[in-house]
Amino acid sequence: MDNLASLFHGFSVALSFHHIFLMLVGILLGILVGVLPGLGAPNGVSLLLPLTFTMDPVAAIILLTSMYWGALFGGSTTSILFNIPGEPSSVATTFDGYPLAQKGKATEALSYAFLSAGFGALVGVIVITLLSGVVQKFALRFSAPEYFAVYFLAFCSFIGLGGAPVLKTVVSIGCGFALAAVGMDSVSGSLRLTFEFDALLAGISFLVVVIGLFGIGELILTVEEGLQLKGIEARVRPSDVLRTMAMMPRHWATLLRSALVGCWMGITPGGPTAASFMSYGLARRFSKYRQGFGKGEPDGIIAPETADHSAGTAAMLPMLALGIPGSATAAVMLGGLMIWGLNPGPMLFVERPDFVWGLIASMYLGNVIGVILVLATVPMFASILRIPFAIIGPAIVVICFVGAYTVGSRPFDLWVALGFGFVGYLFKKLNYPIAPLILAMVIGDKAEDAFRQSLIMSKGALSVFWSNALVGTLMALALLLLVWPVVARVLFGGGRSSAP
Amino acid sequence: MISRKAAEIGLASVTALFGAVIAYGATEFGVGWAPSGPEPGTFPFYIGLIVLVASLANMVAALVAGDGTPLLERSHLKDVARFVVPMIGFVILALLLGIYVATFVYLLGTMRVQGRYGWGRSIAVSLGLPLGLYALMEKAFQVPLLKGPLEALIGL
Repeated sequence: MDNLASLFHGFSVALSFHHIFLMLVGILLGILVGVLPGLGAPNGVSLLLPLTFTMDPVAAIILLTSMYWGALFGGSTTSILFNIPGEPSSVATTFDGYPLAQKGKATEALSYAFLSAGFGALVGVIVITLLSGVVQKFALRFSAPEYFAVYFLAFCSFIGLGGAPVLKTVVSIGCGFALAAVGMDSVSGSLRLTFEFDALLAGISFLVVVIGLFGIGELILTVEEGLQLKGIEARVRPSDVLRTMAMMPRHWATLLRSALVGCWMGITPGGPTAASFMSYGLARRFSKYRQGFGKGEPDGIIAPETADHSAGTAAMLPMLALGIPGSATAAVMLGGLMIWGLNPGPMLFVERPDFVWGLIASMYLGNVIGVILVLATVPMFASILRIPFAIIGPAIVVICFVGAYTVGSRPFDLWVALGFGFVGYLFKKLNYPIAPLILAMVIGDKAEDAFRQSLIMSKGALSVFWSNALVGTLMALALLLLVWPVVARVLFGGGRSSAP
Repeated sequence: MISRKAAEIGLASVTALFGAVIAYGATEFGVGWAPSGPEPGTFPFYIGLIVLVASLANMVAALVAGDGTPLLERSHLKDVARFVVPMIGFVILALLLGIYVATFVYLLGTMRVQGRYGWGRSIAVSLGLPLGLYALMEKAFQVPLLKGPLEALIGL
């Protein structure tokens, strides 16, 4: 019941006029970046983050997380109305969402998506509320080797469960760590890997890299694929929304299964994208309505949407309690926490309960407000997509570079963003996952510190990672996930993927 | 045209080179054991090695089983170039003249030439965005953006 009392305290923090106003602004901005091609949740949060440096951390995190919820909603909107996923995690929503909308049932499709998204998010927040106390108490027993083991586990789960080619994931993670190592070494204080370039002395900001990889890279990809907006009219009729709402309980099995998949994938960093594909794949196999899949079956919208949002929210738990982000967007927010002077990890619950519980309370409110707000504003945002790309494309380019500059007021960062734009484009074309690179960049220094401190404790013996039951279990679990793709192939035969 | 296979090999060579450079750069700071613990170069050194080895494996995989279909069709390449070249121009211009002026020139150019909009609408949009940015960044959030000689001239 400790958690419940803390949660009520959290509501008293979150329920101020200022915070609710920020929530509304965040959700609307989020829907905007979710709808616009090339701007997604990680990128949108990166663009907004430099503007929060001077804000109070509670207000800042409410603004950024609300933007995240909004972006998730916005991404599904374009999937359904235009067959263009606004976010990688809403790709699976196009499979059944667009066909249903084509049949003239756009309102139903959108309502199914938003309502199940809201349900998924609520399950995610409830899981956070219930588990955060436990995880935090558990994590207080951690010392350096355990921390390293948890970081290691996070990366192994990316390799094992992420779904991208294993060695490409390894390259992506390695590049992230290497980029994080550039600049000041936080243990010895010496400058590393600057290769005599003054511009590298301060290191490479992960925010600029995110803007390049996710923003510019995504834009180039959009241009290549040729943005064709054969949009479906997006009038939302309240009666259709209510009728859809009444239909929701029939899909309880898919809702529950997808929410569980989402929570699992959000907490072990598989991320919302992997969660939505996995959930869609499971639904196609186990749903009562599986014969209608791909032709506009509501279950095929509910499954990815529920999982997407519950993974997105559940990813906040490891971020807050352990300092490990479960998705690329959570990684950017984690970076933000450190910039605001907070120390993510179990001590955060002790030092700043107002921050943690204010955030959790705002997640309940934000998602409820989000569902209503997105239903009300869909027609307006859909019309933004009808602005020709010759105007909106360059405008997004400008906003990305402005964002890159505001991170540290360094002209050099414009080149960094441009360079990583090309890298991001090539990575996407050739199926290299990008999210692990960002994660590695954000927690690279912390993982390295934990590794070095562990070795200092053990005077250089790697056996320190097997020295007690806790760290040994974590390492064993990590290694199991690492070899999981091989094990799965042996057990289930063939290279099945959950995506169609 | 560049085939997918060639692109795979090319990107793998770049990441392999990156890994090698990181590993080599790390050796400068010591990669062994010092009395105070692992030397600063140790962690990046092994990370660099892992990237190098994984990249080489990717390269071999592409050599053995890469598919020869083109990475980009010619018509798509043209679309990408029409987008990327002005963007690079924008970055160079922003560094020379500041972000506001570069935004104006970039938007005016793309709208006039690529969008084939009339002068009136082109100028309205390409002036509107930098002015809006100015109000938002410098006035509302007090975050100064990169400025150039023109702003200095009018005393901003």
